[in-house]
Amino acid sequence: MKDIFNDVLGIDGVHGLLFISDEGAVKLSKFSNRFKDEEEKLSRIDWTSFTIELTGVNDAELLYENARLYVKKSGSGYLIVILGYEAPISMVRLNCEIMLPSLDKMKSTGRKIGALFRKKFF
Amino acid sequence: MIPKVLFVDDDPAWLRLIQAELEEHTNSFVVVVADSGSAALDILKDNNISLVVSDLRMPGMDGFDLLAAILKVYPDIPVFIVTAYDKPKTREVVFKSGAAGYLKKPFSGDELAEEILNTLQKKSEGGNLHNVSLDTFLQLIEMEQQTCTLRIINKKQNTGGVIFFRDGDIMNARIGDQQGKAAAYEILSWSRVSLTIEHDCVFHDKKINGDLQAILLDSMRSKDEKKENKRVAESAESEILLDAPVAEKSEKKSGQVKKSTLKKEQKATGGLKAKKTKKAPDFSKMSVVERVRHRVQTEIGTRNGLLDIHIDQTWDGLVYRALDIGEAFNGGRLNVLYVNKGSNGQFVVVPGEETAVIKIDADSPRDRIIDILSE
Repeated sequence: MKDIFNDVLGIDGVHGLLFISDEGAVKLSKFSNRFKDEEEKLSRIDWTSFTIELTGVNDAELLYENARLYVKKSGSGYLIVILGYEAPISMVRLNCEIMLPSLDKMKSTGRKIGALFRKKFF
Repeated sequence: MIPKVLFVDDDPAWLRLIQAELEEHTNSFVVVVADSGSAALDILKDNNISLVVSDLRMPGMDGFDLLAAILKVYPDIPVFIVTAYDKPKTREVVFKSGAAGYLKKPFSGDELAEEILNTLQKKSEGGNLHNVSLDTFLQLIEMEQQTCTLRIINKKQNTGGVIFFRDGDIMNARIGDQQGKAAAYEILSWSRVSLTIEHDCVFHDKKINGDLQAILLDSMRSKDEKKENKRVAESAESEILLDAPVAEKSEKKSGQVKKSTLKKEQKATGGLKAKKTKKAPDFSKMSVVERVRHRVQTEIGTRNGLLDIHIDQTWDGLVYRALDIGEAFNGGRLNVLYVNKGSNGQFVVVPGEETAVIKIDADSPRDRIIDILSE
């Protein structure tokens, strides 16, 4: 599943991606090797209050001195891309737009299979 | 002068193929190629390019970056984006980013040539004029309150420039990557020119202060001053060359000539005039809202898409969470936030002692506003 992040992660200047549930739990993360420490720091954050503040938001950008975060709402959570200022932001937005349907599809397929197993065996 | 079309792609084989495919159109346009976005910008600086056709995915500066850079410096040059990376959203994003056209790879040479010729035709839809007296023609445009883009060719120097008019008002001028009054003066110093007319103008806000008459007068005065300075410099140099001993010539050339020329220039112009400077606004007396509005209006103009600016504490929660996140991963100072709430609007939030919230139009130059407020 992490492979679907590859297109975005392959863009120059992208440090990594996180997928966070509506409740603020980190569901997935993938960072390039150079930014593994960033991944560790971001995974430790309690995102709950942030996702509450994001209610009703389609997408957002947080611009810091050294990097920026691009946040995109998906069906069941938020995709967060951490990128440097050298990264082409339009390309990142476009790739996220393209990637989200597959992300949602994979999640919903996962649930259906799960439900089927539950029905048959339990 | 035959129009030049610049093709940008990191694939040399594709560029060679394009050159071969479009060879039969050499009477209509010349193909120029660049293997990267930065190489394309170098070419644009020194050449009179009429149209850019760029690939989307390139290492380093990609098609979007190149498009943004061209829109900023050469807004009158149309850009076509070509890509093999065709997804339903791609076309939409490409046009939203300001591209004039979009082509999906692969395409035939004829298809491409047709698109190029249509675009080039539009750029000269108002006709071509040769050997024109520029100042007379511009006054005519002003009188008739025309909206147009004039592409002017100075055959003598083999160079070109662009002047933009909206309702007879001169909005901007451009030579290479230079814009504004300096570019206008340079173009207006050309005596006999050829030009093409396009019945459109990309500028809605004036980038040149003053009306055409004042600019024409200033341009004439600057032309005269240049001539006079040149004459003084030449006479000063010849004076030294005639009077100075041979051993001192080089020394005088490097140092004293300048002093002598300066003195004569001062004499000729009646001393150095004090430059009139515009009084800078006192930011310390401005509120956050006024400061934000002033910065955006100064940089972008009145058509900046700003719908409302106000101080709003209800956004403090989001700002605090963003500050926490920045601190956690060493992101540094939080400069600005952009929030898109769909049908409820788009907002740019500027943190500070008071949180300033700017509501922007869906068609506003969002990235430019964000860049300006991030500085």
